[in-house]
Amino acid sequence: MTETTQEFWRWKESNWHDESIDPKAAETVSAGVDVGSVSSQAVVMADGKLYAYASMRTGSDSPDSARNAMNWALENTGLNLEDIHYTVGTGYGRVNVPFADRTITEIACHARGGNMMYGPSVRTILDMGGQDCKAIHCDEKGKVTNFLMNDKCAAGTGRGMEVFADLLAVSVEDVGELSLDVDEEPPPVSSTCVVFAKSEASSLLREGWSKKRVLAAYCSAMAHRVVSLLERIGVEKDFAITGGIAKNAGVVTRLEKELKLESLKSNYDTQIAGALGAALFARALVEKQRKKVAR
Amino acid sequence: MFDKFINWYENRHDYARQWLDKNDGEVVGCFCSYAPEELIYAAGLLPVRMLGSHEPQDVTEPHIFGMFCPFCRDVLAQGLKGRYDYMKGILLAQSCLHLRQAFTSWKNHVPSDWAFYLYMPNKLQTEHARPYYRGELDKLRKSIEGWTGHAIADETLRETAELYNENRRLMREVYAMRKQPDPPVTGLEAMVMVASSYFVDKKEHNAELKRILPELKSRRLDRDTGGRLMIVGSENDDTEFVKMVESVGATVVTDDHCTGSRYFWNLTQFNGDIMQDIANRYIDRPPCPTKDWEERLRFPHILEMAKEFNVEGVILIQQKFCDPHECDMVPLKEYLAKEGYPTLFLEFDVTVPVGQMRIRVEAFLEMLGVEELF
Repeated sequence: MTETTQEFWRWKESNWHDESIDPKAAETVSAGVDVGSVSSQAVVMADGKLYAYASMRTGSDSPDSARNAMNWALENTGLNLEDIHYTVGTGYGRVNVPFADRTITEIACHARGGNMMYGPSVRTILDMGGQDCKAIHCDEKGKVTNFLMNDKCAAGTGRGMEVFADLLAVSVEDVGELSLDVDEEPPPVSSTCVVFAKSEASSLLREGWSKKRVLAAYCSAMAHRVVSLLERIGVEKDFAITGGIAKNAGVVTRLEKELKLESLKSNYDTQIAGALGAALFARALVEKQRKKVAR
Repeated sequence: MFDKFINWYENRHDYARQWLDKNDGEVVGCFCSYAPEELIYAAGLLPVRMLGSHEPQDVTEPHIFGMFCPFCRDVLAQGLKGRYDYMKGILLAQSCLHLRQAFTSWKNHVPSDWAFYLYMPNKLQTEHARPYYRGELDKLRKSIEGWTGHAIADETLRETAELYNENRRLMREVYAMRKQPDPPVTGLEAMVMVASSYFVDKKEHNAELKRILPELKSRRLDRDTGGRLMIVGSENDDTEFVKMVESVGATVVTDDHCTGSRYFWNLTQFNGDIMQDIANRYIDRPPCPTKDWEERLRFPHILEMAKEFNVEGVILIQQKFCDPHECDMVPLKEYLAKEGYPTLFLEFDVTVPVGQMRIRVEAFLEMLGVEELF
């Protein structure tokens, strides 16, 4: 008997930097660090342009997660932490970013980051994160005008998706596509609780449901849950999704179908929206500070 | 400056026990802010409202539904655990079903000598409410007299109503100072001040208020006022929550809670018949949503208060499963939005998850644009 040690929930951690930019020539190097409950991102910007980022799993220690993400973003860039003029910490662990100059909530940061990723026409941003889910309204500058968060439950979040990937032994990155490969859309599983949904899925598997069908039922449940959150606040066009779940076509497609509305697409990694917004705020804040000193 | 109020609040049971040592009377537990305390006090008894303990508990399950509000369950739990074992009487003024259930279970399972269910009408927006409620107060008066064996004189009632009015006036004076650009009183201090007035002898409470008022006039707090917030909703004596709100760049400048302004906002008007005067005072006070229909009289009151106190945003609080407040939340949110007041809705339980609440409050303050980030 062979025992599998594969961790299906593991999504791809990544880092990247833009070789064509010389950050040393930039007037302002700003950074944002988003320590979420599941993933951590660090974004470095040179004069408001995305220069480098890293996205990785949050560990049990928030300061370490922040440091690791930042070190990885800066890897092979020739930049050090000292070269960054201003850093904003955001996310669940925002108060534990040791090198941050200040903190701003991920709600404000996702709106600001979403504004850059999807353009100024975006009015509703749905951030589907690791352990919570937020519906955010914003104006053309990316300033929050209203928001709503889900309460006390991991259903409809990335963590729930990870649980399902592990249950069905399917890589979390393949869940979306596989869930769309069904002849007929099955009824959704429970959308109130990940643990209930998991028990339900186990019995469906015993009844002979295929993996794909179970995944379809879960993605559909997640879409339902998020739509009910969105409906409480209303969806104004244009609409965009940020966070890890934005990469899951199974959820996104079903969500768009229910809303009868297509979401904007972006070339940016949707997981960096919060850190990107934080880096944009960092730039604005450092420039404000400079003006104050100059006066 | 508010040390005494804080001390009272934190040691409320000690206070009541000491009162019993010093006085020849009993302590009467009141279940709702509609309990006409004047009648209790005039009989030489100390009215004490049961407030939240904010401790998780496992004793109420056999007695009260899980989908009844956390506050009612918290109150009942304290009774079942014997925290109020010094209390000889209990009084419920009818407002909501949940609190009534807590009262009934308390009556059945916690020993007491006297338990009175006062039929405070819910339909107050009719003139019939006045004679009706006065009649119910007569019954209450007789019942108290029967229990204590002493008649309550009209004159004593009048003096008590004056004493209560003085307390209300003094607390309104403290509230009025919160209208200043930099209030000399934090929301936490105000909350503890009002909450302590629910169980401290009004004479002592008045004396302390009179002592601090002149000092308050010159008090400067070593903190930024930040966003000026109002909190509105269900019963709320969650000091941890207010502490958190006031630690992230905001000050709670006023409220509409039964544990806050609603308790003391209006005075008894004296028109000759003291029983009718007291009845009218409770009928005319800023209403609880259980009694605020068909017209919602509370909304213009809240709006006026928000304007007077220069409020920038309103936090709407609902104890989980508090149906009367929940029914008001959507229209209230819309009403305030139309008047230019953004709102943040939060649901409360016996203990609040501070981290989750904090992010919402911080994001709300960012949304209000207290600090320019763009």
